[in-house]
Amino acid sequence: MNRRVSGPGALLALYGFLVAYAALSLMPFAWMLITSFKEQAALFQLPPSFRPSLLFTDTPMANYSVIWNERNFVTFFRNSAFVSFMAAIGQVFTCALAGYAFARLPLPGKNIIFAIILATAFVPTEVTIIPEFLLMRGFGWLDTFLPLIVPSFLVGAFGTFMLREYFASLPHDYAEAARMDGAREFRIFWRIYLPLAQPALISVFVIAFINNWDELLRPLLYLTSPDLYTVPLGLLSFVSQYEAAWGQLMAGSVISTLPLIIIYVLTQRYVLAGFSGGGVKG
Amino acid sequence: MTPAWRRYAPALIFLLPALVGLAVFRLVPILWSFVLSFYDWQIFDQPSFTGLDNYIHILTSPVSGQVLRNTAVFALIYVPGSIALSLVLASVLNNTLRSSTFFRSALFLPYITSTVAVTLAWKWIFSTRFGLLNNALAALGIDAAPAWLADPTYALPAVAIVSIWKDVGFYMILLLAGLQTIDPTYYEAARIDGARVVRRFFRITVPLLSRSLFFVLIIAMVRSTQTFEITYALTEGGPNRSSTTLAYFIYENAFIHFQMGYAAALAYILCFLLGLLTLVNFYFRRRWVHE
Repeated sequence: MNRRVSGPGALLALYGFLVAYAALSLMPFAWMLITSFKEQAALFQLPPSFRPSLLFTDTPMANYSVIWNERNFVTFFRNSAFVSFMAAIGQVFTCALAGYAFARLPLPGKNIIFAIILATAFVPTEVTIIPEFLLMRGFGWLDTFLPLIVPSFLVGAFGTFMLREYFASLPHDYAEAARMDGAREFRIFWRIYLPLAQPALISVFVIAFINNWDELLRPLLYLTSPDLYTVPLGLLSFVSQYEAAWGQLMAGSVISTLPLIIIYVLTQRYVLAGFSGGGVKG
Repeated sequence: MTPAWRRYAPALIFLLPALVGLAVFRLVPILWSFVLSFYDWQIFDQPSFTGLDNYIHILTSPVSGQVLRNTAVFALIYVPGSIALSLVLASVLNNTLRSSTFFRSALFLPYITSTVAVTLAWKWIFSTRFGLLNNALAALGIDAAPAWLADPTYALPAVAIVSIWKDVGFYMILLLAGLQTIDPTYYEAARIDGARVVRRFFRITVPLLSRSLFFVLIIAMVRSTQTFEITYALTEGGPNRSSTTLAYFIYENAFIHFQMGYAAALAYILCFLLGLLTLVNFYFRRRWVHE
């Protein structure tokens, strides 16, 4: 063990700081959860109470059932789940194929193409979103899920980068052996390398799912029918209609946060590897 | 079929979806936006070529001046704030509970959860009269607490606070990965020499971490110019545009006023500023980053 801090006092101060910041980091979640179990009257009490008062009544889930059934969050939730799943699966598909080609298949100039993909990823969304909107309008895709799925399906510089690294790190001899057997490239990719790349594929999928679940700008631009709203858009439309209904709004926020927390807890290893993987060491 | 074609066909087929995506959703829009930035085009009218008018208007109008100033103020709070905090947290965590999943997750959670949902929770916390924050301040004896989101002086800092809170865990994870590559014997040696905590931090941790710090600095700067979701959910750029930053202003011009040409010119100014910042960063890199 290397304790780098001299003296118990200093160590205690470090622990204290860490605990205090962790509490601050979690505080909005706790307040969101408590508020979601408060009845309307309890919201505007001074000083604010930390008691989730609805839990002590016979309708503890009142805010949740209003938001889920009457305010149609069940639909928003289904929409978000569908869009995020399709967008993430598509991204894994495209990035895996591209990453494999960049790492493994012969093509003159492929490093230049790869560099262009990476370079254009640094161009801010603000630059591309206006023509993207005009394109979608031209395709007749406004007010459908396609503009939320297709760009994420086809563009993924981060995922391509990650999977390229991963495929490059796998041993070459499997492919050589298979090629001698006369297996075609796609079969080699599908049967041998894709299964081996599973951890990286999960990272790319989960990160793409989280990003798409969180996306606000595109749904805001492309969706006009409330039946197609995703969760973030549904939450915001609720704010503008029911200004002071913080209990229900926070119930909606819990609903939209919960899937991401569950996914994160289940796949933490892959998410952290994915987020810190692209970074430099030291 | 020539042999070369046969040889390269698999790679081309594998790359096809990515190349279509690159062309349709990246290269074409990047060029299209550039062309648009020289036009005056309200989406329902005919576009008319106006040369550099959009750019001149942006650089001279008081409104966009205010927006650029807001963007700079936001960046000046967000970049140093989030880096300093994540650096301190990463080194504290590295010194104490390095392998604690609980603390790492607690700090990382804001980064991966739904932005709109947590921003709305903050909106409720910032609420002037019934909000948790001002009531906590009152309990500490501070009665003249600001109206936060309703006050033009405090709305932008409030957006910055939420942004820092949300992103700090991400930067911390990146820095933690860097810290764990530092050889502990440096610290042992420094301790034998009698160097104290603060000195060890600035003389060993910071230099040996400089490559990770540089990477984090670049990401933080890029993100600081692109804040949109939090602004939209928290303040909608108000009150009186006091929290409107460049990314939000572009959205407003393009998709509320439908001034496509003007918004495209704003987007290119954003792009230019980012490129400039990155160049400046790389220029100063050799002064402080150890290879």
